[in-house]
Amino acid sequence: MLKIEHLEKIYRTDEVQTKALNNVSLEVQEGQFVAIMGPSGCGKSTLLNIIGLLDEPDGGRFLFADADVSRVSERRRAELRKKHIGFVFQSFNLIEELTVAENVELPLIYLGVGAAERQEKVERVLEKMQIMHRRNHFPQQLSGGQQQRVAVARAVVNSPRLILADEPTGNLDSSNGNEVMELLTELNEAGTTIVMVTHSEHDARYAHRVIRLLDGQVVLENVHKPLAV
Amino acid sequence: MLKNYLLVAYRNLLRHKGFSFINIAGLALGITACLLIGLFVADELQYDRFMPDGERVYRVATQNSKNGELERVSFGSPMFAPTLQQELPEVEQAVRLMSLQSKLLFRSADGKLLYQEDGFVADPTVFSVLQVPFRYGTPAQALTDPRAIVLSEQMAEQFFGPGNPIGRELKLDTSTFRVTGVLQNQNLKFHLNMNFVTLLTPAAIGVPEARMKSWGWRQFQTYAKLRPGTDPAAVEAKFQRYLVDKVKPQLKSDQHLDYTVFLQPLHQVYLHSADFKINFIRHGNITYVRALGIIAGAILLIACFNFVNLATAKSMQRAKEVGIRKTIGASQRQLMLQFLAETLLLTLLSVVLATVLTGLLLPYLNVFTAKQMSFNLLQNPVLLAVLLGLTVLVGLGAGFYPALVLASFKPVKVLKSAVVTDGLFGRVQWLRHGLIVVQFALSVFLIVSAIVVFRQVAFLHNKDLGFNKDQIMFFPMRGDNMTRNYQAFQHELEQAPGVASASIGYGFPGDIFAGDGIEVPVNGEMKEFSVTQLLVDYHYVPTLGLKLVAGRNFSEAYKSDPGHAFIINETAVRVLGFPSPDKAVGQTMQWKVWNDRNPDSVKVGKVIGVVQDFNYKSLYDQVEPTVLQIFPEANWKVAVKLKGDVAAGVASVKQVWAKFSPDNPIEFRFMDDNFDEMYRAEDKLQTLLFAFTGVAIFVGCLGLFGLATYAAERRKKEIGIRKVLGADVLTIVGLLSKEFLVLVAVATLLAFPAAWLALSRWLQDFAYRIDMPLWAFAAAGLLAAAVAFLTVGYQAVRAATANPIKNLRVD
Repeated sequence: MLKIEHLEKIYRTDEVQTKALNNVSLEVQEGQFVAIMGPSGCGKSTLLNIIGLLDEPDGGRFLFADADVSRVSERRRAELRKKHIGFVFQSFNLIEELTVAENVELPLIYLGVGAAERQEKVERVLEKMQIMHRRNHFPQQLSGGQQQRVAVARAVVNSPRLILADEPTGNLDSSNGNEVMELLTELNEAGTTIVMVTHSEHDARYAHRVIRLLDGQVVLENVHKPLAV
Repeated sequence: MLKNYLLVAYRNLLRHKGFSFINIAGLALGITACLLIGLFVADELQYDRFMPDGERVYRVATQNSKNGELERVSFGSPMFAPTLQQELPEVEQAVRLMSLQSKLLFRSADGKLLYQEDGFVADPTVFSVLQVPFRYGTPAQALTDPRAIVLSEQMAEQFFGPGNPIGRELKLDTSTFRVTGVLQNQNLKFHLNMNFVTLLTPAAIGVPEARMKSWGWRQFQTYAKLRPGTDPAAVEAKFQRYLVDKVKPQLKSDQHLDYTVFLQPLHQVYLHSADFKINFIRHGNITYVRALGIIAGAILLIACFNFVNLATAKSMQRAKEVGIRKTIGASQRQLMLQFLAETLLLTLLSVVLATVLTGLLLPYLNVFTAKQMSFNLLQNPVLLAVLLGLTVLVGLGAGFYPALVLASFKPVKVLKSAVVTDGLFGRVQWLRHGLIVVQFALSVFLIVSAIVVFRQVAFLHNKDLGFNKDQIMFFPMRGDNMTRNYQAFQHELEQAPGVASASIGYGFPGDIFAGDGIEVPVNGEMKEFSVTQLLVDYHYVPTLGLKLVAGRNFSEAYKSDPGHAFIINETAVRVLGFPSPDKAVGQTMQWKVWNDRNPDSVKVGKVIGVVQDFNYKSLYDQVEPTVLQIFPEANWKVAVKLKGDVAAGVASVKQVWAKFSPDNPIEFRFMDDNFDEMYRAEDKLQTLLFAFTGVAIFVGCLGLFGLATYAAERRKKEIGIRKVLGADVLTIVGLLSKEFLVLVAVATLLAFPAAWLALSRWLQDFAYRIDMPLWAFAAAGLLAAAVAFLTVGYQAVRAATANPIKNLRVD
């Protein structure tokens, strides 16, 4: 589903030039759960941003579902994002002025889904995430675990093929963290491809594969378990 | 989608109450100021627009060069209208009016006795050129006979009550008039204040037939309606050529034609006549209308800039939301629409608030400007359209840039770090500073203007005019008995308790004046000079407290004074070419006496005295060369200098009046009131300028306050670190204030030259004016800086006195 070949990403400031990604190549099959690990500044978030079409590579190729998307327009990338990719962040990134239900509804609005269908989908996903009772609350009225469940709900409401999670348990205590990891696993078992950046060895164990980055390069890859087909 | 946008907008408003308040209040105030000024300006622009053929109507005015300056006069000769009508086929119709410059006492059949002013005599076709609507009667038949009178609605009601008064009679002295029409002119935006109109005949104005053929006598307002499609410039040129080629050669040697004619479009008469000499019309002043328009624009601009500044400053807080929305799949266009929708909502709220405010304030403005402006949205779809247009214009104008900035945030950057340091922010900073500079430059400009206008107005009211206008009662004589026995009347007035002196004549300060020629020998030949003639008596000089710089006043001891003596002013000494006031005394002068029976009679005399120049007209006008002489035939007005208790003085004058003219009630004014009235337009300008300058500064400060709040917020951590390292409160207040004070300083420097130029031009209109007060510039700069410092300082002190530990835990 994802194919990355010799990817390069360079950050420049006035005086310093940092190579965030250096000749990274990897492939992710449809339905896989991949964890990317490495110390701070190793380039894992950069890689996730490029996969998520939020950032552009400076070199190499990136194929999303067999199509080369390394150099497509911002409009096309926004299009791909809203149709196929869901995001989960460490800091939840919910919009504070919107209620739980409205936050979850947002991707459907941008997709142009009709109101009745939106309501149905939102309710279904909120029930699945067990936060239906909080649907009219605002994010700041929820606990961290609940907020992250809302964020996951928002990421999956339009049934994306790919979920990108950037330290999804980083701001959560262990029991809430585990709950979120269970949720992701369930989604993965239902067929959604997941790429997750994490510091946590514990979380990484939920994944099929763990890719380790250091200084912008892939240094090691372990396979925990084969992809169940 | 829109619902979502508006929902977020609404919740954002509530969440950031301070910012929302500043934005909405600032914008609402700005829009209110704009609406009020807009209503005023629209009202001024509406004058004379009611006539169906108004586009083709022109006022035929004259101009001549006087002492090197072009002087425009709205009056022309009685020959203008007939000549235009007969000699120029391009003219469809031309009519004359003459304003009766006095109050006349009318009597109705049931004995109602009322003074009426603003009367006119006019040609029979006057109402087909000046198409004033009629309430009763028909315009074409209204003025066909010399006994016909057309009344204003108000006058008709005063005498006859409500209902149709056609055919009813009114008596004026011994003549009886029959009402043939009633004008529908209450609240009519018409430059002529027409209270009553009768037919123009030589008898009606008491002149011989021959005088109506005079080309030199300029006392008629002439209006011409041109045929459709006629070029007024061509008509003007043709008429002028006619004057030069046909009229001038026929004139007798004693008549002269020193003016040129020009056509003034009817629609310009009201606003473009402020500089005309002898203006008996209602008029506005295009300079003031423009000034107010500029102020309105400036205030709206300041309010919009606030909006842009606050929105871009606040954008940091919205950056995360933008990042999330983009990540989820929002396009830049969708985000721009969202932010524009927010701005539009905010603007709409401001406009609604402004509408309410305008409705509340308009009655006060109406009283102040003596207008009847209305602000009824339901009755006025144009107004509604203007408001909607304003909403969209301001909303899009102020919202576009912030929307663009916000929508172009890169999600990767804004979601990652708390502090966004994009190149874009450098540009935004620059823009923000630029806008603050413009705002404060406008404010400083307005402050300087307010001070200078205030000084000039104070100067107008307080300048030493060269005579004493205090405690002088002023009124016209009434009735034959009083006019015939003027000497006895004057004598009894002077004997009355509380009266210092009394003078009877024609040509008192603040009133109307006669201009005429005076001849003096130059190199052995008589040469004519144009001067102002004050036709006075023995008591004029002491009553007004004029100062003689050479020679003596008129005196009853010299039997030759009435027939052979002149007093001139210092300007006349110069203009007539006398070497000095002392040398002027004893010089010969002659004057063609106003005498219908004997047009060739000449009064020959000598200069017996020279008075110091005194400003008998408004300070818009230079003192003109002036000749005083005794000429009882022109006696009309009375000036009585009171002493001691004013009320007692007035009472004793009334007693004397009742003795000489028992049938006519006295109508008097005080001379200083007349003078104050001359500067009423300036007084009002000053008040409006003060009010709107205040609004401009306040709105600008609201924005500055918001920005300072934001700056303090943004630099919380820096302030915390500095305090931990030992900075004291003063250092930190200085640090936070410096940024803004530099901007205010730049703004001040930009505003100075513009204010200097604009105000110099305004002062040019006054013949007597203050020197540009340099301190006004310094004061305006300091005031702006002080206001800015107080505004910013409040936030700075708050930030500087906050507990640093709290702020350091922010991230």
